[in-house]
Amino acid sequence: MIKNEIEFILNDELININNVDTNVSVLNYLRINKRLTGTKEGCASGDCGACTAIIAELKNNKLEYKAVNTCIMFLYSLHGKQLITVEHLSNTKLHPVQQSMVDNHGSQCGFCTPGFVMSMFGMYKDKVKPSNQNIDEYLAGNLCRCTGYNSIKKAAKKMYSYGRKDKFSKNENKIIKLLKKIKHNDILISKNNNKFYIPLNLKNLIKYIQNNKHYKFVTGGTDIALEVTKKNNTINSLIYLGNNKDLNYIKIKRNYINIGSATPINKIIPILKKYYPSFAEMFYRYGSTQIRNVASIGGNLGSASPIGDSLPALLALNAKLILQSKNQRLLGIKYFFKAYRKTALKNNEFIKEIRIPILKNHIFKCYKISKRIDDDISSLFVAYLIKLRNNIIIDVNIAYGGMDSIPNFAFKTQKYLIGKELNLKNIEKSKQIIEKDFNPLTDVRASSYYRKLVSKNLMDRLFLEINNNKVRI
Amino acid sequence: MQSNNLFSIKKEHESSKKHVSGKAKYIDDILEPKNLLHGAIGYSTIAKGKIKKIDLSEVINSKGVEKVITYRDIPGVNDVGPVFKGDPIFIENNIEYYGQPIFAVAAKTNELARKAVKKVKIQYLEKKPILDIKQAIKKKSFVLKPVKICKGNAINEIKKSKHTLEGELYSGGQDHFYLEGQISMTIPQEDNNFLIYASTQHPSETQQIVAKSINQKFNSIKVKVRRIGGGFGGKETQSFIFSVISTLLSKHTNKPVKLKIDRDDDMIITGKRHDFYYKYKVGFREDGCINGLKITLASRCGFSPDLSGAINDRAIFHIDNAYYIPTIDLISYRCKTNTVSNTAFRGFGGPQGMYCIENIVENISEFLKIDSSIVRKNNFYQKNTKNITHYGMKIEDNIINDIFDHLIKQSNYKKRRKDIINFNNKNRILKKGISITPVKFGISFTTTHLNQGGALVHIYTDGSIHLNHGGIEMGQGLMTKISQIAANEFGVSLKDIKISSTHTEKVPNTSASAASASTDINGGAVIDAINKIKKNIEIYISKKFKYKGKIIYKNNKVYFGKQKIDFKKLISNAYFERISLSASGFYKTPKIFFDNKNFKGRPFLYFAYGAAVSEVIIDTLTGENKLIRVDILHDVGNSINSSIDIGQIEGGYVQGLGWLTNEEISWNSKGQILTHSPSTYKIPVSNDIPEKFYVKIYKKGKNKENVVNRSKAVGEPPLMLAISAFMALKNATSNKQLKAPANPENILMAINR
Ligand SMILES: Cc1cc2nc3c(=O)[nH]c(=O)nc-3n(C[C@H](O)[C@H](O)[C@H](O)COP(=O)(O)OP(=O)(O)OC[C@H]3O[C@@H](n4cnc5c(N)ncnc54)[C@H](O)[C@@H]3O)c2cc1C
Ligand code: FES
Ligand code: FES
Repeated sequence: MIKNEIEFILNDELININNVDTNVSVLNYLRINKRLTGTKEGCASGDCGACTAIIAELKNNKLEYKAVNTCIMFLYSLHGKQLITVEHLSNTKLHPVQQSMVDNHGSQCGFCTPGFVMSMFGMYKDKVKPSNQNIDEYLAGNLCRCTGYNSIKKAAKKMYSYGRKDKFSKNENKIIKLLKKIKHNDILISKNNNKFYIPLNLKNLIKYIQNNKHYKFVTGGTDIALEVTKKNNTINSLIYLGNNKDLNYIKIKRNYINIGSATPINKIIPILKKYYPSFAEMFYRYGSTQIRNVASIGGNLGSASPIGDSLPALLALNAKLILQSKNQRLLGIKYFFKAYRKTALKNNEFIKEIRIPILKNHIFKCYKISKRIDDDISSLFVAYLIKLRNNIIIDVNIAYGGMDSIPNFAFKTQKYLIGKELNLKNIEKSKQIIEKDFNPLTDVRASSYYRKLVSKNLMDRLFLEINNNKVRI
Repeated sequence: MQSNNLFSIKKEHESSKKHVSGKAKYIDDILEPKNLLHGAIGYSTIAKGKIKKIDLSEVINSKGVEKVITYRDIPGVNDVGPVFKGDPIFIENNIEYYGQPIFAVAAKTNELARKAVKKVKIQYLEKKPILDIKQAIKKKSFVLKPVKICKGNAINEIKKSKHTLEGELYSGGQDHFYLEGQISMTIPQEDNNFLIYASTQHPSETQQIVAKSINQKFNSIKVKVRRIGGGFGGKETQSFIFSVISTLLSKHTNKPVKLKIDRDDDMIITGKRHDFYYKYKVGFREDGCINGLKITLASRCGFSPDLSGAINDRAIFHIDNAYYIPTIDLISYRCKTNTVSNTAFRGFGGPQGMYCIENIVENISEFLKIDSSIVRKNNFYQKNTKNITHYGMKIEDNIINDIFDHLIKQSNYKKRRKDIINFNNKNRILKKGISITPVKFGISFTTTHLNQGGALVHIYTDGSIHLNHGGIEMGQGLMTKISQIAANEFGVSLKDIKISSTHTEKVPNTSASAASASTDINGGAVIDAINKIKKNIEIYISKKFKYKGKIIYKNNKVYFGKQKIDFKKLISNAYFERISLSASGFYKTPKIFFDNKNFKGRPFLYFAYGAAVSEVIIDTLTGENKLIRVDILHDVGNSINSSIDIGQIEGGYVQGLGWLTNEEISWNSKGQILTHSPSTYKIPVSNDIPEKFYVKIYKKGKNKENVVNRSKAVGEPPLMLAISAFMALKNATSNKQLKAPANPENILMAINR
């Protein structure tokens, strides 16, 4: 059975909808259709956080709350979820995070404030310790031009002192019941010749793509939604993978971490922390909490941007991809990137799974360099995978992002280093060779000169870190 | 005598509860009229040249479009220039920057309007644009004539000096990045009148410019502003064009029109902070004392003058910062380039002036190998000597020496500096830096006539008070402070005071909310109005109670002699005795004057002072850096509301930090701006401020001048405290050639030069 409407809960009201355009964002739906204007638009590109709202999803019979940027989220991707907006936080009394913001003078012009309140609410629901680091992690996706953040951070530090239980804790069972009522079917919305398809499972998805053409996949939407919000284009046919359980998993199997392509970055961090801490550490600087909550590893590969952060890391790790059409195929990631934003994906094919080998005897390090530390796109990125035996390099991968039109290996440097002793002299030599591997561009994020210089200098950082020197600010 | 109990308190922002619950309304949140149309602007995609051919047919026929307008559809003046002409609404032919408006559409929805605009076909005749300051100077391309000033014989003094240094410096531009983008909604009224909801810092000038553009009288236009989502100077004049276009579209369709500008378009179309190029030669003594300074200031004004005259003047006024410069030879170029018309931005040229002299002082210290805090102190203005500025104003309220000494102690600067030198000796890759810098910032509009303000105060018969004034609430807490002032004057509680929108119908001919002086000026006007009402009450009391003498308003009561009466009761009684309970008030800043020709006078009523210590760490492999600790001591006079003042200080510092570190505007060789979105233009985020961020108000602060509560303006001055962060970074690179903005790339370049 295929349904032609989605169901979701807006605050505490169950909504069935199919009569708005398939390209409409959650933000525009809230502001224009529902006249809920507390959620603001500051950029419509996912960068400012003024549009932050919270999505609650049922996971293991519990609600999981996550902050999202409503400006770059398609309305129909809300199926089966609860959306909580700032209007719903307080009734007669302000919510603890709101009261803390008032008492600590966290607002000036007030335009960014609802967004901050929602991000803090997300943090509150996650019950994390309000350390400086955690606060920065949860607030990195919210810009404020007035306060200078100090008062906002104070408010976050003190929010729990206004009570650790809120009306949402009390209402949780009611919402869970409501969410459980929502039926999960295949859903196809057709509106003005535009389509939005939500496959129930992998089987249906595979069937659908055999019979349809000219569609685009959307998972987190943090890349593709900008086509609509920034370029004013219409995407006629969308297939939404974000809800799909068959694409949303992490499994350890035979020395591989197998990750479903629709798994959001934030869900991948814990497992990476265990096997590749440097990878996990970098992921904390990938976009913002709002972005990481929905942006998928498959989408990152699918956009195939030369500055996509997981790409060089996966390259260096010799990850494998499972590509799915009618049939499956396994492809080494080094064969995936063909040219600038061109991949080996065929028509009617999508990424099903990413397999990262667990290499216990290798050293893995990756470095993201960007203008701003938090929520910025890399100027350049490098990932190293090295195996040493008696301090001799017996295996080495060095993969760069931002140095070429695709994420790529430093082939000549690798070749030079293999079989060499890991010492300062050889590192110095290798730096001269990197220059022969790449001829990077100058753009807004960095000059070619800077990229070259830093790509060499990072060899020093690598060397020092392998030798346990503390060289990070 | 006032009770004064409502001052110096930590009263929260008047709208804070509404902010946090999403109930505070901005223009885009106002309930839309039923037949509302949405506007969008089509702009040039070359930086200089002519339009050979323009084909709008597909735009006109695009779905949902009701009207397309060009310069031909402007009944009045095709110019939104505030002081000088030169800012066309729509270009007729001559294109002067990439992003210059050419036409606008009104359509049924915002989406349809934006989609329609994309369908224009334009053939251009492209010319080579002038894109940088040096090129403009070479070609003598200026928006206004250069300004020269001389004090003493600087050339001679430099020659005679034991040491001299010379060099070039740059400071970067800055996008305002107010979180609420530009927006205006016009609603047609009877008799061809228009009501405009504008996100502007300057409703009166919006009114005037809109009226001129449609060739109507000023009294046919009403402008209303409840609050704006940040301005920072970016809505002082740059908002006008949007109100003009929404009104033109409204006039032509006879329907309400909302013009909400997309963030990228906003950053493409509107002006920014002026970037500067400086060339200097300085002569100084063994102890770093400056003998003479020869200096060239040149700024990128963009294609039109806008406010560039006053902005560059303010850069000149602040080229001394807190330092006595005995002789000076200065020239200031106001360069015309084919880029957006740069405009007001918090500090209004002041930061650019200070940045220059602070670099020079830092370079002198580096040259002499003396701690720069000592060289700074050696150059400070003094109380009774060395107290005349290069524009002839005597500084009567100097407290910088005291603030500086306090902060050095309070921040443990000396010990930390030693520790840092040790750290740097021990560490090859990571380096630290520390610096303390002063701020002395002049308060008043330097265009004397702008220093006036009005207010309107009503007391209703139940004793509740309603007031309006000319200032705009843009987050700075103006409404909160003014409410406190009014409540204090009448001795009533804050709950009894209501300030509604700023409205040209209520208070006419106002100045922009700018120059940090809004509380001083509008607060003064409110007090004037209140005093008039109090006069009436005094007459009433003297008649009714046969009492002449002091009347005290306190704790919701009015005390006179041995009697007291409830404020509410008194008001109700006075009404029945036919006493007027409403008055308008006016304020003009005293003492100030300025002779533009000779660049001499007293442009400022007073100065606000402050100092900051910043400590940073950098990674010499990548240029990545982090602010470790900031200590600030800032003078706000006798604070009206200390939490609001602290908020201004912190916010100002961080905005200045963005300007001098990560915020970078870039253009390509054709003059297209490349940084037109927050994905490429990075303002500070939470993680960019240090955990150790200690901000204190200077306790002894008291304004010498007769300003409300002896407080001081606080909007702009703290921005310049962030110069300390730049100097700390410079200190960490142990190189004097660090270019602003000090982003990782520029830091690495400085190290590897
Ligand atoms: C504010 C902001 C910050 C960002 N920061 C970063 C950052 O720090 N680092 C970084 O690397 N990126 C960043 N991005 C880019 C973007 O978020 C990532 O590329 C993200 O991983 C995309 O995932 P998504 O699920 O949202 O992709 P979507 O937008 O859903 O899809 C992206 C593309 O991939 C295709 N696609 C999606 N899923 C699949 C699939 N399973 N198989 C095949 N094709 C697929 C889509 O058709 C589309 O073309 C940022 C974006 C924003 C808006
Ligand atoms: S509006 Fe800026 S992130 Fe959504
Ligand atoms: S309070 Fe104005 S942007 Fe945050």
